[in-house]
Amino acid sequence: MAVRTTTPGLPYGVGRLTTAWKAFVAIAAAVVALGLYAFLREVTQGMRVTGLRNLGTGGGATWGLYITFVVYFIGVSFAGITIAALIRLFDLRHLRPLARMAEVLTVVALVLGAFAIVVDLGQPVRGVINLFRYARPQSPFFGTFALVLAGYFFASLVYLYLGSRRDAATMAREPTRLQGLHRFVAAGYGDTPAERERHRRASFWLALAILPLLVIAHSTLGFVFGLQIGRPGWYSALQAPGFVVLAGVSGIGLLIVLAAIVRRTCGGEDCLTERVFAWLGRFLLVLLLVYVYFLATELLTGTYAAGEREVDVTRQLLTGDYAWIFWASVALLVLPLGVLAWQALSRRWSIGLLVASGVAVNLAAIGKRYLIAVPSQTHGQLLPYEAGSYAPTWIEYAVVAGLLALGALVIALFMKFIPIIELPDESREEVTADA
Amino acid sequence: MRRWWTWGMVIAGGALMTISYFFLAAPWGEDTVANSDPRLEFAPLLFVIGVIVAFSAAVVYELMPDRTDE
Repeated sequence: MAVRTTTPGLPYGVGRLTTAWKAFVAIAAAVVALGLYAFLREVTQGMRVTGLRNLGTGGGATWGLYITFVVYFIGVSFAGITIAALIRLFDLRHLRPLARMAEVLTVVALVLGAFAIVVDLGQPVRGVINLFRYARPQSPFFGTFALVLAGYFFASLVYLYLGSRRDAATMAREPTRLQGLHRFVAAGYGDTPAERERHRRASFWLALAILPLLVIAHSTLGFVFGLQIGRPGWYSALQAPGFVVLAGVSGIGLLIVLAAIVRRTCGGEDCLTERVFAWLGRFLLVLLLVYVYFLATELLTGTYAAGEREVDVTRQLLTGDYAWIFWASVALLVLPLGVLAWQALSRRWSIGLLVASGVAVNLAAIGKRYLIAVPSQTHGQLLPYEAGSYAPTWIEYAVVAGLLALGALVIALFMKFIPIIELPDESREEVTADA
Repeated sequence: MRRWWTWGMVIAGGALMTISYFFLAAPWGEDTVANSDPRLEFAPLLFVIGVIVAFSAAVVYELMPDRTDE
């Protein structure tokens, strides 16, 4: 048995290269090239072209913008796969249009996270080889690499691929230039009841395996900071849960933005309804409430009866060099919280306001990640060093912009090969095996 | 056959992860520098391969063609 679409042509803009899309791809490719150039400068001239310096004696920070974005990217991946897994596990049919874009977001964000780690290494090749050669599994770093970048990434990739086969089989029925590719992705999928049942079963077990894995993975990433007793501002039991929740906040926020773009550009109004956005908005609201609670608790602990150095770091956040980032991040968390709460209470959801909230919480998440990584290095010295400082150079900004553009580019390309929105059952028409 | 392959890969991947993590990696509870390297070089890579084998079971489960008598 095979399947075909009832509508002529390929759905959701697949295979249609519009002028706007080409312009977007060209701009993104140019930014990627700039990032690559900056990275090559870094490799050939050394880390001195960045703003990163040794702690204490160097008066700086060894983890800066790159590590900020490592944590941010991996955080974004959290929500993608969580949503996708929840949709499969609990059969949330009205959210199914979100599943594939959530999976794509996860895979792309994890790749970007891995790249962000590589660009932070002074000797990238040596670093990558030695990780697999000598890493201690007991180390939170290895846990992050192995669980996040191997287990979690590979599981998400498998999940994305298996979920795409059915749509690829549907589209392979259309005689287009992409037919060969769609046949290859479909890998003989015929949408028989047995195949559907197998896919349902495999998706369920994969989702069941991924959910605990991702909580462990993000907690482990939090432990990279949270277990360092010698670094005031990092050592905290709240780091792991805080990482998980903020990961959810940034990921859901970005998913809202992506869903709105897809809705506008790929003709997804029929399935990416206000109900879908309202669900995302409520999910984001709950996560924001929890995170703001964590933030208040952390601040109270850091200022009330903490050690001298701990108080120093907190003071830097509240009134010192980092205050503008801190208060801007707080505002970008609290304002969307108010907007979302108002929408939830009034039961009137505006996609525009949701997108604005999604952008705001992502900026806040980047700010918070920066504040987690940097101030504890420049001002959290237990040894008698002067307070340091860190300012990223254009190289770091260009590399990060290149990574962001790479992510956008990959998603934009993916959308032209496989529908970014899972095809609804109504768009398929079963035909006989010989059709 | 499909189930045998699937379960076989899940068990093989799980075993590889367990062995590499608990027995081939750096000794547990030993904090000295001499014990900071893995007992077997590339033990972490074996762990990662175990993860990949285990999750690939899902692909095998779905893609393995039906036998004609099934």
